[in-house]
Parts: sequence; structure tokens; C-alpha cells
Amino acid sequence: MHLRLNRKLFKFIALAVKSLLQHKLRATLSILGVVCGVAAVLSMLSIGEGAKRESLSQIEQLGTRNIYVKSIPLTEMQEKKSRAKLSQGLTLYDAQRIKNGCRGVQDVAGLRELKASVFGAIKDVMPQIVSCSPNYASMLKIPIFEGRFISDPDMQEGKLVCVIGHNVAKNMGASGSIGNYLRIENSLFKIVGILRRIESKERKAGAISLRNYNDMVFIPLTAASLVSKSASVTGATAWPEVTELVVGVSTVQQVLKSVPAVKRTLEITHGGADDYQIVVPQELLNQSRKIQRTFNIVLGSIAFISLLVGGIGIMNIMLATVSERTKEIGVRRAFGATYSDIIIQFLAESTILTFTGGIIGIIIGLGGVWLISAIAKWNTAITVLSLVLPLLTSILVGIFFGLYPAYAAAKMDPIAALRYE
Amino acid sequence: MNHLITAAGICKEFHVGSSTLKVLDNIDFNLHRGEFIAIMGPSGSGKTTLLYILGCLERPSSGSYLLNGVNIIDASDDELSHIRANSIGFIFQTFNLLPALNIYENIEVPFLYRSLDDSGIRERIMGAIAQVGLTERVRHTPAELSGGEMQRVAIARAICADPLLVLADEPTGNLDSHTGMEILKIFKKLHANGSTIILITHDREVASVADRIVYLKDGKLIDNASAPEQKAV
Repeated sequence: MHLRLNRKLFKFIALAVKSLLQHKLRATLSILGVVCGVAAVLSMLSIGEGAKRESLSQIEQLGTRNIYVKSIPLTEMQEKKSRAKLSQGLTLYDAQRIKNGCRGVQDVAGLRELKASVFGAIKDVMPQIVSCSPNYASMLKIPIFEGRFISDPDMQEGKLVCVIGHNVAKNMGASGSIGNYLRIENSLFKIVGILRRIESKERKAGAISLRNYNDMVFIPLTAASLVSKSASVTGATAWPEVTELVVGVSTVQQVLKSVPAVKRTLEITHGGADDYQIVVPQELLNQSRKIQRTFNIVLGSIAFISLLVGGIGIMNIMLATVSERTKEIGVRRAFGATYSDIIIQFLAESTILTFTGGIIGIIIGLGGVWLISAIAKWNTAITVLSLVLPLLTSILVGIFFGLYPAYAAAKMDPIAALRYE
Repeated sequence: MNHLITAAGICKEFHVGSSTLKVLDNIDFNLHRGEFIAIMGPSGSGKTTLLYILGCLERPSSGSYLLNGVNIIDASDDELSHIRANSIGFIFQTFNLLPALNIYENIEVPFLYRSLDDSGIRERIMGAIAQVGLTERVRHTPAELSGGEMQRVAIARAICADPLLVLADEPTGNLDSHTGMEILKIFKKLHANGSTIILITHDREVASVADRIVYLKDGKLIDNASAPEQKAV
């Protein structure tokens, strides 16, 4: 019985293929809508997945438990106003206040980007020089390949030491090893550590730059003034100025709860001056999700309309097919085809039609995704879901829009069908 | 004798607008296994309607009909389909072959709907093709055949699954007299091999191949006579 059913189904599929092959052009034109719809669904899923992965990797790099405070470059006028409010700009004093005064905050690291030149054997890389606090590496989980990161004594004593990224060390060759010296501007910094190679690229995540640690050179915050004129200590208490603070919170859940406390603390230390900006990676994730949702709605609507129009096209063609094959329906009924046999036969035809459209749509969609990736430089990701879902959708379109024509064929009076000319 | 068909009081009415058209009027009809019967009558006498009722394609408006002991009147649509698939083979005046399929595939159509196991289907189809003398043209499509050849394919399609009853509606109606005679020879051969056949025709010569001839006029069965007697008339 089971074998007979399989044979019957196989026969219906073979019949459907044969019937469709007899009208190749008509069949091809009728599936265009489904092809576009499936290609759009595939693109939507692949681009969406790519964007999601990129966002997650950015957030991962920024740290899900971190809050970033970034200094805002001010004009002369703005700086005057800021000083009038007794703001010292972003300094390690802010770091200390946040660490001591905000609940849930475990640690705060500071970093300052420096404009300085490196001399020596470095050819292919343009190293980015930054000064930072000793806890920066541990908070951002920067792996050390050899040696150590900047230590507390380095910081306290303003020692001329540096930690170099993997590419910097590689390009320096033999001189890029522990114990050797790197000349930055007019000072020689002793290499005390080399970072492990990290798969990352330089890009922006909101107001925060995702750094390529492979091309970086880290020096103590207290040594910054030796390599950059703009780097100085401010105020009577001589707190080192920074361009970025990384606030580490105890748990992921605590992050959003700690933000108001950090804001309040900074408002006090900056006297209400708007010379800083708070960036929460978790919020970036939410923003990215919102953008993603909008994108999905647009592409999803295109896919839906394409599939709807494609489905109506399929229904139209199938109704024409049923009308053309009225006599065949009568003959099949006369030889014992049941109501459901006729339904299955025509459903098989419409489903094969849309399934073929689905396959073509997937091929075109893959090409489209590759093009988008190559031209717009968007991150895309092809997953099993992004292949299976559009194909499944195409099958469902075939079943849904083939149902009415199949029903119309099955409910035909066999005698009227036999007499049809 | 064992009755394959027992029909009594068969009436068929069609409603045309507000009026009712009575096509069959109180038909009593019996058929034995292995019998070959011809139903004759002028156009519009109700021959084809009777054939479709006997072939379980149409339900009568009233009356009773037993086919091989099964009450056809109370059968559901699916049960009627099942009966047609397993017990009846149709031959039509216009052949009704499926143009997209070749000879083999056309003859295979009834097997798709029969409750048979798959073994020996190919042999049976090839046997039926050989019986009508078309072995060499098995992969040809209907468009490549003459009228006589198409009717032979239709006969092979009707008989290949060994139905209890073969129903032929004017099988020679679209053929020249020579080809028609060849087709009738095939019917005689089928009958000789034990097939039960009902043949509809308005041609006395064609009807003469049957054991018995039944006349229909204005929806009524007006005469029953054996073929030799009829020839004498």
C-alpha cells in the first residue's frame, strides 16, 4: 500500500514535470514573481544575519559589561564655556569618581589617543599610539603573546615602556622583541610586551572606534606628555587627561542600571558641561536591532509582494492549465481518478513550478548576496535557515495558490469534462 | 445465469430552466457475465446517458442498480471512482487519448488509480499493446497515429487492467468502414476471450457483432432481441 502510494506520487510528479516541460516559456514566465520573492527572502536573511553577526562581534569586542565615556572635541568657544563651568575635560579623576561612587562599577580604565610618529624599521604599518591605564588590557581582554602589559609601577613612575601589537612586532623584525627599544617622537620606549594576533578590523561602533590592536602601540598614560604636546596633565591635582574611559560593570544585567549613576557623577565633575558622551554597547545592539528590523520590514515587504504577485501568476497559469486539460480530467475521472487524485495531480504541478522558482531564486539570491557583499562591503552570512526558509516558502506558495485551481479541476463534472471540446 | 448488471426502474431527468427533460424512463436492464450487448438508438435517445450510468459516471434520478452485487445508487463519489478504476474500461468515440503521453503512458493511466500491486504492470500493458497490434509504436504519441490506431490504443487502455465490464461509446463512429471492421474484429476477439462488453452504436452492422441488441427510443427500452433475429428483421 505504502509502495503503491509512493509510486502514485512519483507518477504525479513525473506527469507534472512532463506537463510543465511542454510549456517551457509559459512556465518560466509564471515563476518570475516567485524567483524575485525567494531571492529577496534569501537576501534579507543573509544580510540580516551578516549584520547581526557584525553587531555581535562589535559588542563582543567592546565588551557587553562595559560603558564607554568618550570626550567630545570642543571648539575654542565651547572650551571656554566648559572651563567656566570648572570642567577639566575627561580625566582619570572622572575614572576615580565613577569607580568609587557608582554602584555595580568594578573598574574604570582610561585611554588617550596620541598623534605621534614612530621611527625605526616599521615599513608597512602605521602604528596607532595610545596611552592607557594598566587595567585597560584586562578590562578589554586583550591577549598578551609575550611579556606583560603596562603595570601599575610603570604608570606611577611614568616609565618609558611600551607594549606593541602583533603586526608592529612582525614588521619590526628582530628589533620588535622584548627588551628592545622603540623610538616614538624623541623618546625611546622599552618593549615590555607583545600582543597576540587578534582577528579584528578597524571600524566604528556608534561613537566608539573598534581598534585594531595588531597595529597599536600602548604606553603608560603618565608618559603621554613625552610624545605628544597636546597630552598634558590638567588642573592642580594633575590628573592625566584621557579621550576615553571604559567603565566595567559587575554583570551584564547591571550595565543599564549603572548608566544613570555614571551620568550623574560626570555631571557633577564636569559642572554640567557637555564635553563628553556616554556610549553603551548594549544600546548599540538595540539600535542595530532597530535598524535591522526596519531593513527586514522593507525587504520583507518586497519579498511578500513579489511572492503574492508570483502566487497570483501561478494561480492564473494553473487555472488556464486546468481549463486546457478539461478533457484529460474527464478521462482520468472515467478511469477511476478520485477527487483527491485530481487535487494532488494539479497541486504537484503548481508546487513543482514554484519549487523550481525557489531553486532559481536561491541561485539568483546567492549571486545578489555576493554582489552586495562585494560592492557595498556589507557583511552577509548564508545560513541553513536562509536557504531552507525561502525554499519552504516557495513550496508553500505553490500549495496555497495551486489549491483553488486544483479544487476547480477536482470538482468538475466528469461527463461535462469528457464532452468538453 | 450470474448477473453482472441488474438495473431496474432507471430514470434520468435533467432540469433545463424551469422545465424537466426526461432522458431515461423506467429502464430495466440485466447483463450476464461474458455477454456482449449492443445498445442502439437514434441520436438523443439516451444511449450515452445510459452508458454513463452503467459506467458509474452518472447517477440515475431514480431506480436501482447493482454492479457485481454492489449497490451503486448508495455509493459515495470515491466509491464510484474506486469501482470505475477496478471494474470498468471505457472506449470513446473520439478516443480521448492524452496528447502529452505516448502510447505506453496512455495505456498506463488506469493502473494509476487501481488497487493493484505494482508487479507485472509493464507486462500487462505490453500484452494489451500486442493484442491490438501496436508493439512497434509503443513510444509514439497520439498525434503520430491514425484514427484506427488511436482507437486501438483506446481499446488497449480499456482492457489492459482486465475490467469486469468494457463500455464502448460509438467506437467506430469516427473511423472509415474498413478500419471500423478491424476494430470490430478486436471486439469479437475480446468477447471470445470472455470480456463482458456493452457497445453503443446507431449502426446496425456494428451492432450485429453483439450477442444481443437493445433499442432505446425517447428514453425507453422498446425491444429486446438477439442479434440473429434482428438481422432477420
